[in-house]
Amino acid sequence: MTSAEAAQHYFTKAARIMDVGERIETLLSTPLREVGVQVSIELDNGEIRTFRGYRVQHDNARGPMKGGLRYHLDVDHSEMLGLASLMTWKTAVVNLPFGGSKGGIAVDPSTLSIKELERLTRKYVDQVQDVIGPTRDVPGPDINTNPQVMAWVMDQYSRYHGHSPAVVTGKPLELYGCRGRDTATARGLLSICREILKDVGMPMAGTRFAVQGFGNVGSHSARLFAADGGLIVAVSDVHGGVKNPSGLDVPALFDHVKRTGTVKGFSGGDACSNEEVLTSDCDVLVPAAVGGVLTAPIARAVRARIVLEGANGPSTPEADDVFEQRGVLVVPDILANAGGVTVSYFEWVQNLQHMTWEEERVSTELERVMREAYEKVGQISRSRNLPLRTSAYVLAIGRVGKATVLRGI
Amino acid sequence: MPIPTPLVKKLVQIPIFGGLTVPEAAEFFEVAVEVSEPKGKVLFREGDESDALWVVLEGSVTVSRKGVELAQVGRHAVLGEMTLVDERETRSATATALEDVKLLKVPSKRVQKLLKADNVAVLKVVANLAQVMSKRLAAINEKLVSTLGDKSKKREELADFNRILTRWEF
Repeated sequence: MTSAEAAQHYFTKAARIMDVGERIETLLSTPLREVGVQVSIELDNGEIRTFRGYRVQHDNARGPMKGGLRYHLDVDHSEMLGLASLMTWKTAVVNLPFGGSKGGIAVDPSTLSIKELERLTRKYVDQVQDVIGPTRDVPGPDINTNPQVMAWVMDQYSRYHGHSPAVVTGKPLELYGCRGRDTATARGLLSICREILKDVGMPMAGTRFAVQGFGNVGSHSARLFAADGGLIVAVSDVHGGVKNPSGLDVPALFDHVKRTGTVKGFSGGDACSNEEVLTSDCDVLVPAAVGGVLTAPIARAVRARIVLEGANGPSTPEADDVFEQRGVLVVPDILANAGGVTVSYFEWVQNLQHMTWEEERVSTELERVMREAYEKVGQISRSRNLPLRTSAYVLAIGRVGKATVLRGI
Repeated sequence: MPIPTPLVKKLVQIPIFGGLTVPEAAEFFEVAVEVSEPKGKVLFREGDESDALWVVLEGSVTVSRKGVELAQVGRHAVLGEMTLVDERETRSATATALEDVKLLKVPSKRVQKLLKADNVAVLKVVANLAQVMSKRLAAINEKLVSTLGDKSKKREELADFNRILTRWEF
């Protein structure tokens, strides 16, 4: 099951609990618009190459649609559709005035030169510029796209529509980007983590964390949890892992990663495998790499009391059931990692207002958004005796549904 | 060709000919002819000139309009009865024999002529027809109400959803 299929599974589960009926289910899950485009460019050697591009816009009842732009060979229409709907629910859970969308190009960008990548991006914008826009659909970075790609998107779109920084988020800081964007998802995780620890009566100081994945989300999370008094007892990346039951020296680990490009071989702990990190003796497990790593057998071996989903779809639905049976608290991806899209929203707001926020304001506002979302999801979970994931979907369906009813179909 | 008395006695049991005395019925059916048609034969088509009233004596007939079957009728059913009251002189539906059929055909002209002469038999038939029509109208009204009812139910689907949402605190 892909993460997109898993998202549809959770949506359906929540919709059935709410008993919205088959036709409302169809209304809410059918995308608003699906665009497929030809992206043809001339390579540096003069060869013509044609790629397939997509932009799927799922729902705009709550506002302009928001979703990443992904460059990956796995990009196809159904994957885009699943991820677009996931964005609708995610923006609704954290109550941003956005709908959901997703786009991408089926390409392995590592085979392209920087100039080719620029031509590819600009050509894609040529093809979708009439369906995106600051009040229509706002792309952002995703797998294999970065602030430079976002800058090209902004520039190309602006050639058609005039100066439009708000057409895309995740731009470089020097070009209408937002402070604190790099750490946004990790900060969101931290806010949620503080709240849930408060709920279960555990102090942050001394709480043991295992972090799987040491990219943008994993590394910043480890740093922020440690700075807040947490002990990072295990971390891993694609190359391997390292553990230390009395807590890793995170600043030293960062130095090691800076030097070697991996956490593997860090002298401040014992080497371990990726899977050992997932099942290590800890209080909070933070899967922050790829989807589907927590399968049912691994879920049975997880020793953490809380799973904080930094990645998208790290738990399979079967693993989710295991966690529920075992009483492991799972903070679902659509809540836990929504800090990223929340700061994207702040960037859009600043661009529309021609303003720049200080990083502190970004952090404060982000914390408020995440806290409020957690509180709402928690309320539904307690009053209906539902797991946090189902509660988050219920909240999302409720908010999107209310907007749909009020606007009329 | 006079209609035999035993058949006339049977015909007066058909609702639309109810209340006719045997002599009245005999007068009404005086110029009627018995017709046999094979299975699949189109007795009349939608838009054809209405030239007769038909009574099914044996077999069954399907009645359709614009390709949609309205009814299948059998022994003692009356077809083309609208010819008695409708000024439009064309058929509103198509009738096709579903099997080999035997029918009684009463020419419209005959009926119209008797009607103009205030013939008691035809007036009784028209009165019966009014009752049949009134029942059909009631049935159509019923169907209309249920169709409109479905529509209003559809309109409520969004309202139902809204009610579901109010049961949750968002």
